[in-house]
Amino acid sequence: MAKEIFMPKLSSTMQVGTVLQWFKEEGDPVEVGEPLFEIMTDKINIEVESYEDGVLLKRYFEEDDEVPINHVVGYIGEEGEEVPDLPPGESGVSSKPVSTETPNPQPEAELSDQPSEEPEKVRATPAARRVAREREVHLTEVEGSGPKGRIHQADVERFAPTATASATSGVTPLAEKVAVAEGMDLQEVEGSGPRGKVYRADVEKARQPAAQPVPPAKRVKMAGIRKAVADRMLHSKTTAPHVTLNCDIDMAEVVAMRKQLLGPIEKQTGYRLSYTEIILKATAHALKRHPNINISLEGNEIIQHDAINIGMAVALEDGLLVPVIKDADRKGLVELTVACKTAGQAAKDNKLKPDEMSGGTFTVSNLGMYAVDTFNPVINQPESAILGIGRIHEKPVGLNGQIVLRPMMGVGLSFDHRVIDGAPAAAFLTDLKAALENPFELLM
Amino acid sequence: MRELTYLEAVREAMSQEMRANEDVFVLGEDIGVYGGAFGVTRGMIEEFGPERIRNTPISEAAISGTAVGAALTGMRPIVELQFSDFMTIAMDNMVNQAAKIRYMYGGKGKVPMVLRTPAGSGTGAAAQHSQSLEAWMAHIPGLKVVQPSTAYDAKGLLKAAIDDDNPVIFYEHKLCYPKKSDVPEEAYSIPLGKADIKKQGSDVTIVATAIMVHKSLEAAEELQKEGIEVEVIDPRTLVPLDIETIVQSVKKTGRLVVVHEAVKRGGFGGEIASLIAESEAFDYLDAPIKRLGGKAVPIPYNPELEKAAVPVVADIVTAVKETLNRL
Repeated sequence: MAKEIFMPKLSSTMQVGTVLQWFKEEGDPVEVGEPLFEIMTDKINIEVESYEDGVLLKRYFEEDDEVPINHVVGYIGEEGEEVPDLPPGESGVSSKPVSTETPNPQPEAELSDQPSEEPEKVRATPAARRVAREREVHLTEVEGSGPKGRIHQADVERFAPTATASATSGVTPLAEKVAVAEGMDLQEVEGSGPRGKVYRADVEKARQPAAQPVPPAKRVKMAGIRKAVADRMLHSKTTAPHVTLNCDIDMAEVVAMRKQLLGPIEKQTGYRLSYTEIILKATAHALKRHPNINISLEGNEIIQHDAINIGMAVALEDGLLVPVIKDADRKGLVELTVACKTAGQAAKDNKLKPDEMSGGTFTVSNLGMYAVDTFNPVINQPESAILGIGRIHEKPVGLNGQIVLRPMMGVGLSFDHRVIDGAPAAAFLTDLKAALENPFELLM
Repeated sequence: MRELTYLEAVREAMSQEMRANEDVFVLGEDIGVYGGAFGVTRGMIEEFGPERIRNTPISEAAISGTAVGAALTGMRPIVELQFSDFMTIAMDNMVNQAAKIRYMYGGKGKVPMVLRTPAGSGTGAAAQHSQSLEAWMAHIPGLKVVQPSTAYDAKGLLKAAIDDDNPVIFYEHKLCYPKKSDVPEEAYSIPLGKADIKKQGSDVTIVATAIMVHKSLEAAEELQKEGIEVEVIDPRTLVPLDIETIVQSVKKTGRLVVVHEAVKRGGFGGEIASLIAESEAFDYLDAPIKRLGGKAVPIPYNPELEKAAVPVVADIVTAVKETLNRL
């Protein structure tokens, strides 16, 4: 009896996985535990291991194919067994975890009273589906206004208003006449008038052949981590009203402290202490005093986290990952240095496991190694605030009636104004500044 | 233009056809001196005499059999059945003979007859005299089925039915009889298979038949106060059915409510809903298709229960709002 190979679900937000590579050809023998193929999902790459002994009978998807979770990716069975030519449709929850690496194997069946984690089939009217096809909208992203969330045509239209106004309203009669006479498609004409109204001049301009052929550009399908980042940033920026508070922090004391600790910490751990770890420490210290910043919004409930788990944004070639330093408030600078350095390396090597990237309650994003004075970061949801760090450089500041040069660092604290107001955020930032300007506070 | 009631329009259509064509005659129970169970043929015996306004024994089998035979031999009979419920007794002649003869004789014989019959509830006539059984007839290949809702339509459609060389079942809703509309004096014909848009609208399409056309128009008026523009379509004939007009309307509105008095289960509304689901209008549907029909009970004698057995204006209003998620 041939057994299905399913696309595993590796996190609560995972909807699809992208096949990166197969380690087996059709017809190859496979043993339990052998890696079958590698997938990219939700910001990680992971090898999916075989759960069966047998022969790989069928591969339905190849490199770069996106496969929804719990879809059949292939079959393993005995040589010569018949399997369908086309992948069967979406199965229910597979009756066993596919990959031994699945971090949280879902207990099945007995949880029938729990809301299923399966993505629901989209409820949408035929008209909504037609308009979604025309406007290339994914219905999964559209909120339905109908009963049980049914998506209606108007919901799709609200989600994706047409770029061009309707041909009749956005075109002058004269422009239409000219376009008809010339046999031109008005959809192709860019209007220069209000709301893109097309005038005769626009039609005539569009008639001119383009001056030069545009050199071909390389096109890369937005997928995997790039798409994950894109989706999450867009979601954050469009659902959370961002407010950013900026301030300059005098880092003279931190610079001195780092100088003193650099040697001993390197000797003990083999890693060099960087400003990131000190900033993390100070952030955790300030968060402990301001639990009202260490929160998440889930549905209509605000979760006040006990743990202080700080995410650390790490840039990659093609995107960005945020490993989470758990219980940052309970770690000293030695532990933090080790944790940050190993997490950073794992991120760069794409070796982070899902649980090393989840559970964050606040994020720090450091661009201090670049010529950036300060910036407004985008909140890493479901967290409610994020700290963006600029470079440390000497600036003239007023001190005791004198203008002096001090190593200043610009920071931006973005917060979700749905759950955090300006004053508490400002109080948190003020305490953070105080902790960095008097780093001995961190010993308290 | 002068106004006629629906009942007078039916009488006028018959009289004009009888004057124009010697072959047309009417047969039925009590249609002579008494003028018919509802008074449709009142006065016709004086003009046309008992040969052409023929009183018959109380036997729908005999009446319908006589008509099929007369039609086969070249006459154009119009049968009046007192109540459409008695179609059960005429069933063999209509379904097994009239509907099939032209086909089975390879076109060598034809059955140009009309069977007129009052249908529907609302007059306290109880379970055996109040049914709407048009779906039975629409199911039979070889029979045409007509259901006018207004005086104007009744006159024009009856002329077309009499002129048709095939058997036509012509349902007259009892509650439509007193309804008045402008009716031209001259004879005119409304082709079978042509729906009529009784009211234009953009938000939802209602397809309704017979008395439900009037109830739907009332509902549309009520809904208009809330800014809901209903389009009301009367197919007027179920066979042949002008599905194209309905398709175009649903493509425009994206929503369909079908209303008839006949029991919803197995009613003709199911056919209309299915045709739309199979048509190019499918991709324009923005809500599930809704059907309103009678409850699956014999029509009660008690007037309050009788009202409750079939859709009323409030039901139509609710159904429309439901399809618009406006409840």
